Amino acid sequence: MLFLKRTLPLIIAFVFGITAIALYYIPHQKAANLTETFAMWDRLIAAFAYFLALYSLISLHARRIRRQQAGWGYSLFVYFGIVAMVAAGFYNRGHWALVGLESDGAYDWLFTYVYIPAEASMFALLAFFIASAAYRTFRARTTEAVILLVAAAIVMLGRVPVGVLIWSRMPELQEWLMSVPNMAAKRGILLGVYLGAVATALRVIFGIERSYLGGGED
Amino acid sequence: MTDRLLNVDRRIVFLAIVVAVGAAMLWPVPLPIPPSPYVMDVYRAVDAIKSKPNAKVLLSFDFDPASDPELQPVAINVIRQCMQNNIRVVGMALWPEGVGLGRAAFDSVAHELGKERGKHWTFLGYKPGIVTLILNMGENFKSAWPIDYFGTSTALMPVTQDISRLGDFDFVLTLAAGNTIDAVWVTYAVDRYKIKLGGAVTAVMSPDMFPYLQSGQLVGLVSGLAGAAEYEKLEKSPGSATRGMVPQSAAHVVIILFIGFGNIMYLISRRRERAGELSRLRKRDAVAKGGAGG
Repeated sequence: MLFLKRTLPLIIAFVFGITAIALYYIPHQKAANLTETFAMWDRLIAAFAYFLALYSLISLHARRIRRQQAGWGYSLFVYFGIVAMVAAGFYNRGHWALVGLESDGAYDWLFTYVYIPAEASMFALLAFFIASAAYRTFRARTTEAVILLVAAAIVMLGRVPVGVLIWSRMPELQEWLMSVPNMAAKRGILLGVYLGAVATALRVIFGIERSYLGGGED
Repeated sequence: MTDRLLNVDRRIVFLAIVVAVGAAMLWPVPLPIPPSPYVMDVYRAVDAIKSKPNAKVLLSFDFDPASDPELQPVAINVIRQCMQNNIRVVGMALWPEGVGLGRAAFDSVAHELGKERGKHWTFLGYKPGIVTLILNMGENFKSAWPIDYFGTSTALMPVTQDISRLGDFDFVLTLAAGNTIDAVWVTYAVDRYKIKLGGAVTAVMSPDMFPYLQSGQLVGLVSGLAGAAEYEKLEKSPGSATRGMVPQSAAHVVIILFIGFGNIMYLISRRRERAGELSRLRKRDAVAKGGAGG
């Protein structure tokens, strides 16, 4: 069992990790064909992850309802939403799921008139919280905070047309802030992030990092 | 008093935003929308291929309805620009929620301009895998997408029949609300398959894109609602993004006013605190001197 649980996944990670890196640098048709095959396998595996996600979602909310945890009523809506969307998708204006999804059916209606407005409204609420949080926390306590405050005000005004009315060169100043100091900082951060990603990938490939197997590093 | 003003009830802040945005929507005023250089770069990248025979553009809908107000106007206008210039346009999605949005964008413009699916445009839909889907498209487009979203073979449709790999597209535009633009498109498609990539992203993502603009891995960038409004202006078809500029300007001004007001109150309260502290110290010194003298 230990072989199946530990050793085999480590071998798979090593073989496919090294092969994928090697394929990137081999300019040959056979390497391209193998990349294509790997890509198709990966997509099949990724598709199965949706079943796991669905199972995880259903069991999580079933537990909440069973234990009557705070806000368990909302979990009923999760089931209602899943059943409504899946039923609408399968029914497909009477053509069922064997053909591509038909336009203007119940699924489209639910997506356009329920899902889109609901999610857009949730996101729109951010404007209120940002305003409140900015008022409470954006204080000129230190020199760095003052610089941040001034830069934020310029970017906020430079990104909207009213900034042009205040000062015609506001968009240019905003553009400079974004493409010089911001870009320099971002590039430094990105280099650090990607070097870290390379190090983590190598740790996974060589079996040093094993947390993805579950149960911690033992 | 200053303490009370420093801790204004958040509902007052919410109300100010509602009033400002509501007033801006009810009584809009025309505002100047000068297109920024990065938005013009995306527009020019599409414009540059219009004279090329069989030019093809790929649009990737990598966003969900939360970003619909910022990115959908860009999608609609780029599709319109392509269709008006007889550029064949193909859509796909790396996010499952992008399918409904992509279809809606193609349906609306194709219906408006009388363009035929399969001949002038098609929508491929969504497939899982993200990185491996791009790698698959890079090596063999038709094995990644043997049929489109509607079930038609990509080998038979005039719009896709001569596309054998990702690099055959003259321009690719990703409309992204997540890290697929840099972690997937830039990393795998641009560097490996040498595509010409443009981006349309949400406003909060745009600062992350500047390193790729400077390196040339992104040819241009349409960022946020403002970028979408600028694209509408270039395309001479003002729509929801242009209308959104007035309420957005109002909201930004209100936020800046609140930040300014909060800082003035903070400085006043800090000055008072310092003055109080100074007078306490003086009193203590005076008492100490009095004690020493007595």
